[in-house]
Parts: sequence; structure tokens; C-alpha cells
Amino acid sequence: MLSLFIILPLLSLMVINLLPKELMKKIGTLMSLILPLAQMLVVVFIFLGILDIRPGPADHFFKFNLAIDNISLVMLFSIAIVILVTLLVERHLIPDADERFNFLNLVLITFTGMNGIVLVQDLFSLYVFLEITTVATFILISFHKKRDALEGAFKYIILSALATVGILSSIALIFLISGDTSFAVVHQALQNSRHAFLIDFALAIFLGSLFIKGGLVPFHGWLADAYSSAGRAISILLAGIVTKTLGVYTLIRLVSSVFGFDTEVKGVLMFIGALSIIIGAFAALGQHDFKRLLAYSSISQVGYIILSLGCGTPLGIAAAVFHLFNHAIFKSLLFVNSAALELQTGTRHMDKMGGLAQKMPITGVTSLLASLSTAGMPPLSGFWSKLLIVMALWFSGHFAYAIIAVLASVLTLGYMLSLQNRVFFGKLRPELENVKEASFGLLFPMIILAGIIVGVGALFPFILNSLIFPIIIK
Amino acid sequence: MLLAIIFIPILGAFALPILGRFSLRLRNWLALILILAPFVLSLLLASAILSGKTINITQLIPLGFNLSFSADILALFMALVSSLISAVIILYSFGYISHYSNQNEYYCLVVLFLGSMMGIIFSQNLILLYIFWEMTAIVSWRLIGFFRGKQDILRADKAFLITACGALLMLIGFISIYQLTGSFDIPVIKESLKSNPLPNFIVALILVGILSKSATLPLHTWLPDAGVAPSPVTALLHAAVLVKIGVYVFARLFVASFGIAEIWHTIVPVIAAFSTIIAAGAALIETDFKRIVAYSTISQIGFIFFALATNNIIGIAGGLLFILMHGLAKAGLFLCAGIVEQNTSTKDITQLGGLIKTMPFTAVAFLFCAFSVMGIPPFGGFFSKYLVFAGSVENKQFFISLVFLAGAVMTMLYLFRLFNMVFLGEVKISGKEGSRTMIIAVMILAILSLAGGILINYPLGFAEKAAQQMLGG
Repeated sequence: MLSLFIILPLLSLMVINLLPKELMKKIGTLMSLILPLAQMLVVVFIFLGILDIRPGPADHFFKFNLAIDNISLVMLFSIAIVILVTLLVERHLIPDADERFNFLNLVLITFTGMNGIVLVQDLFSLYVFLEITTVATFILISFHKKRDALEGAFKYIILSALATVGILSSIALIFLISGDTSFAVVHQALQNSRHAFLIDFALAIFLGSLFIKGGLVPFHGWLADAYSSAGRAISILLAGIVTKTLGVYTLIRLVSSVFGFDTEVKGVLMFIGALSIIIGAFAALGQHDFKRLLAYSSISQVGYIILSLGCGTPLGIAAAVFHLFNHAIFKSLLFVNSAALELQTGTRHMDKMGGLAQKMPITGVTSLLASLSTAGMPPLSGFWSKLLIVMALWFSGHFAYAIIAVLASVLTLGYMLSLQNRVFFGKLRPELENVKEASFGLLFPMIILAGIIVGVGALFPFILNSLIFPIIIK
Repeated sequence: MLLAIIFIPILGAFALPILGRFSLRLRNWLALILILAPFVLSLLLASAILSGKTINITQLIPLGFNLSFSADILALFMALVSSLISAVIILYSFGYISHYSNQNEYYCLVVLFLGSMMGIIFSQNLILLYIFWEMTAIVSWRLIGFFRGKQDILRADKAFLITACGALLMLIGFISIYQLTGSFDIPVIKESLKSNPLPNFIVALILVGILSKSATLPLHTWLPDAGVAPSPVTALLHAAVLVKIGVYVFARLFVASFGIAEIWHTIVPVIAAFSTIIAAGAALIETDFKRIVAYSTISQIGFIFFALATNNIIGIAGGLLFILMHGLAKAGLFLCAGIVEQNTSTKDITQLGGLIKTMPFTAVAFLFCAFSVMGIPPFGGFFSKYLVFAGSVENKQFFISLVFLAGAVMTMLYLFRLFNMVFLGEVKISGKEGSRTMIIAVMILAILSLAGGILINYPLGFAEKAAQQMLGG
């Protein structure tokens, strides 16, 4: 059953390429929409216990070692939502049919890769799926073959190659020590091993490589370039979920179920997290380009996730996963907003906009909700995850980090307000008199995502009861 | 019933922009109804609550995130005061705001504002309280920046950032309470604290939040700047909702629920005294109509904190009465300022003068409200100020009482100066009288200020009962 999460996207990739190409250019996207929708449903069913996850015939045929827990469920759900949104807006953002078809192929590969990352239970398969996703991402960034996009992709390739080498050599070292790559065995072996130095070394390389993939300070240089230069549809996917799965989810999974939390790991995670929060937020304050601001805000928000993970307590991990989910929602929404803005006004330079809430009310309201959620304003979803993060930090005795996290919220609010002021609030500029609201195809995903932000925020106590609690208790 | 008081305005607010697309009149009246609904519903609750019962609604959620609301006399008092003043302000808005764009947003936000205020008043859980607290911050940010000019927006940001920063520090305070007691629920916390006072650093953190919201020195600077907002909004911020939130939460947490160390009963009055004197001084030299009235609010809020920190029945009843009287009178002053500003297009009092000839109703209403703020008998403000001093004398805080007495004298000075320069003397800019609904609104407030003094028995009995319940329970 679980292997279907990987096989079905791969299969549909084959199908849309085998069937007549002219036909697929027209309906390929529409067909593929079924995949994320089905994934969302299946995740909900598994969660409610309606669907059971015993190995079926497909699992016996493909000998993957897969497992699922609440963290993976949340991830699978987030992946499905962001893929769904990307596929929904694709038709409006990529006008050329051939390009659109290529884009669809790449999205499906990414989808396969990310589902794989979330489900696998051994280091080597993890590496394989990481690479599948990363390679698809290179091509996605340089998709429109613009000069700065190529530059961004090139930066990403170089840094990512370093990370790849690091991950592979770290896996090799761990394999030397444990004689196996499956998570459970490695976890046991690392606990009982005498090679403390070697383990620390392998761990350090692994963590560093994942920091690169997740775009954390001080390895964040590629991220802003890649996000802002990538095409409009692509940056939604990239910022919403890809880097979070590649870097952040992997980090959560490895640290919590393979390496374990020792004092050094916690210290490093929290320090890097806090550093990313602050540097990302200050960098975001100084941006003029809409997408660059969002990119730096991404760095800052990922910092929160890592900081919370660094507590090492169940509450901390739960808060990290929850924030990751929220971040996927609000950041995708903001990137859809930015795509709509760029399409309607022809610029991403925030100083050339102003007062657009009058002309684009739905874009304005949804982006306001997303911004406030990012800044952790109640009653929106972002508030609850930040609250849990601060609580996790405070209860584990890291008072200084808790205060940094809280005060950085003011910075977040600061850059989000400056974004709102320059783009939507304020007086309408005369040259923007003829701007119209985006088409319904773009508004529809915005409304869905904004609905999730408000809904999760308002119904949070129930979500806490059913979703967060199980993670904590585990 | 309690949930209806909170959620009728909050949910109803979102129907206003939709209705506004079809009919402006209908939208305006619905807004008024949505604001009157909590007032009427609270009145219906009054007889049950005044007999000493409290109404509780609790939905248990693990980790102490319980959704619990409760109504006691204090909450009921605040709910009645703020919904009454808000209703008058909405009535005034029918005239004032009809000249500007974004009206749908305006009505939606004002109603949402009152709904969040009701949420703060009735919630018995610190996290719920925080949620509604920040909702008011978001709403006031949009409202202060209503005119959308560059200056307006910067000022709105300033208000938002200062109050949000204070609120976040308060949140840390709440989280440390949680660590101490394992719950965010006020009754549970009270239970587990027994009679021990809250640790001082927690009180300090929460106090920062309260002072930032109530614009008390040194976190007051956003309030005079917020005068760029439309006049009904400033009236709402100053009189009915925003700054009273901080005062209310102070009463709710530190007077009615938790014990605080003895030292705070000295520190809070001292902060309040500085705030009162310095803000009164600033009001004496300002030349902008609305800034003067804004500084006057900062100065008067000091009195309320002073009263609530006395911790005896007379003082606290005086403080609550002060919230009512100051709310009525201050709303009246701002709404008069709005009429003057709209019809003369200036806020600079050095360019104004002699307006009593062309705006007789506004002038009289202004004078009535000013008398009440100054504390001249038989206006309502006199009784509340008197009780504040009586309460402090009972605590033998003579020196600080003298400082506040000086503050009261300064209040008279700057309000008479304001009245003189705007309404007396020779006519510099002639403006016509405001529209009929606007005049009616300010007259209602002026008459209520007077009636509140003449019929002082009713509000005073109410406030005394509330004070008894707060100290006894």
C-alpha cells in the first residue's frame, strides 16, 4: 500500500509520455490533478483509521522498506497541497503548451522524489530520492533559461553537489560502523559503537549537508537567487515544499529517529536556527523585490523550525512539524500572490506598487492573511505553531532562545508590514490605475490556502487534540 | 448567550462588506444592530449576574488550552460601557465616514473590533485573551491607516509594532505562568497558586503588555500619533475599546484573579503618576487639536491605574466608574474634534477661534464633555475622580495623591485652553455645523456625561458591586 505513494506518480509520468503527446498537452495537467487530490484523501483516511496500511501486492513486488507515522502523514499532506496548487496555477503562469508539458513532467518527478524521501526507512534510499528531487529542481530553476535563473541554478548545483558529496561520504562512514543503512539498525549501532569520533565526524558532515539543502545560515546564499529567479509557478513549488522536504524534513527525521539528540546536536541546531531567524529577518527587511523578501522570510521561518527541533523534546518536534506544515501553506500562498501581482502589474519591485488592495481585493486580503500568519498573529494558524515553539523552548529551559524567537516575531511583523504597506495598503499609484484582479484560476488556489490558514487557526484546539497530541505522546 | 455576545459581532462583521455591495443604508443599520446586540444581550444578563452569580461556559481541551468564557459583574460592566460608547460612535460614523472610500472595510473592522473586545472581556483563558488582544491590534492597525497616506501608514505600523511587541512579552509572561501551574485557565491557575503572589518577573512582563496597550509612559508614543486616523476611530481607540483593554486586563488579572507582591502597589502608582504629569504637560504645549485630547487620554489613564492599584473597594469602584465616565466624555471630545476638523479642514488650534458662533451645538457638547473630564460637579467625572482620591487616601498614599491632584489641575488648564482657542475669541476660519447624526451623537455623549453625574447612584452601585466581587472572590 505505502509503495503506491511512490509508484503512482512515477506511473503517471510514464502514462502521460506514452499517450499521444498533443492530447496530453491539453489534458495531462488535468489528469495529474487526481494524484495530489487522491493523496490528500488517502492521508486523511489513514489518519482516521479508515484505511489500513498493511503491505499489499504492490509492496511485495517492489521491495521498498517503507514506514509511516504522524510526521510523515503531515508531510505527505503538505506535499499534496503544494503540488495541487502548483498544478492549478500552472496553466495561467506558463503560457506555452510545450513548456507546460515539460513542467508537468518535472513536477511529477519531484512529487515522486519527495514522497520517497518522506517514506523510506534507510539511508541509501533516502539519498537516492534526495538526488532525484534535487536534479529535477535544478532543471526547474533554470526552466525559462533566463540569465539570472541560470545563475541561480548554477549556484544551487555547486552547493548541492557539495552537499551530495557530504551526504554520500557520511553514509559511507556510517555504513562502516553499523554494517547496514536501515534507520533502526543504524540507530542501534550508533548507540553502542566505540567509534565516537568517527560518528561525530559523519554526523557533522551530514548535518552540514542538510543545512545546505535547507538553505540555512550560513549556507543560505543560493536560496534567495534561486527562489527569486525561478519561474513564477516554480518558486511556489520550490519555496512551499521542495527545500523543506529536502533539507528540513530529512533533518527532523534523521535527528529524531536515527542520530538521536545529544547535547552537541541540540546546541548546533538551536544556534543555527536562531542565527537563521535573525539574519533572514534582517535581510528580508532590506529587500525591494517581492520574491526576494519572501525568500529571506523563508530562511527565517526555517530557522524557527530548526530551533524548535533543537529542543529535542516531543513538544519541540511536534511544533517543528506543525510549523513546517503552516509554512508550506502560507509561503505557497504568498508566492501565488506574487505571481498574480507580477502577472497583473508587470513588476516585482515593491516600490513601484502601492494601494493595490483596491484593485486586487482578493489578492490583497489573502496576502494579508498569509503575512499575518507568518508573523504569528492570532487567530491564524501561524500563531499556534509559533506559540508551541516558544512553549517548547521555554519548558526545555532555553529562555534566551525563547526570547529571541519571540522578539524575532516583531521583526517578522516588521518586514511583513513593510511588504503590505508598499504593495497593498497605501494610496493607489496613478500608473496602476488600470490594474485588474487576477483571473479566477489564480484566485481559486489563493482562497483555498487562505481558508486553510483561517480554518486551522480557528479550529486549532481540535487539531491540537487530534494531530499534535499523537506526535507528542509518541 | 455569552457566546452570542462575542460571536455575533465577530461573525457578523464579515457580512457587512457583502451587504455593502447592495445597499449602503442597510449596511450601516446592520452595523449598528451588530454593535447594539452585545449591549442588549448584556443587559438581559444583568439581573442574573448582579445577584452574584457568574455564568461559565467551558469546553475542555488538553494542555490547559480550555475554551472557557465567563461573565461576572466586572466583565458585564465593561461590556456595557464599551458597547454603549461604540454604538454612539457608529451612529456618528454614518455622517462622518460617508465622505470617504473604503467604507465597507471601515464598518467591518469597527464591528470586528468590538467583537474582539467582547472576547477579551469574557475569556477566562490566557491564550484566548491573547488571541482577542492581538485581533484588536490587527484591526486598529488597519483603522489607523484608514486614509492610506504615507504618514498614516507609518503611524499605523508604529502602533501595531509597539503593541505587538508588548503583547509578545506578555505572552512570555503567560507561558511562564503555564510552566508554573500547567494551565492557561485563569480559575485553574488561581487554584494552584493559592494565595501565593505571582513571581515578580511575570508581573513585569505582563505589565509591559498592558502598559503598551494602554499607552502609558514610556510606551505611550503611538497614541498621539494615531490621531491621523478618522475621528470616530480615534474615539473608539481612546474611549471605548483599545486603551481600556489594558486597564481591563490589569483589573482582571492583577486585581480580580491573582495576587501580586506588595511592591507593585507602589510601582504601578508611580508609573501612573509620571504618565499623568508628563502627558498633561505635553497636552499644555501641543497645538494640534487631536494630539491634545490624545495626551489627555494618556494622562487620565494614569488615574485609572492609580485607582485600580489601591486594592480597596472605594478605589477600585472609583477606577471602574472612571472607565465609564472617561469613556463617555473622551469619546465626546474626539467626536467634537472630528466635526471641527471636517468643517474647517485644520487641526491646528492656533488657526481656529470663535467657532461657538457657527457651531453652537458642538461647542456646548464639547464643554459638557470637557467638564466631565476635568471632574467638575455635577458631571460624572467629578464622582469618579473623587472616589479615586478617596481610595488612595484610605491607603495613606498622600504624596502620590498630591501628584495626581496636580495632574487634575493641569487637566483643567489644558482643556480650558483648548476650549478658549477653538471656540472663543475672534473667528479665523468659519465652519458650518456638522451633519445631523453627528450632532445627535455628540449630544448623546454630553448628556450621558451629565446624567451620569446626576444619577450617580446607578453606575456607582454597579461599580461597587463589581469591586466587592473582585476583592471578595
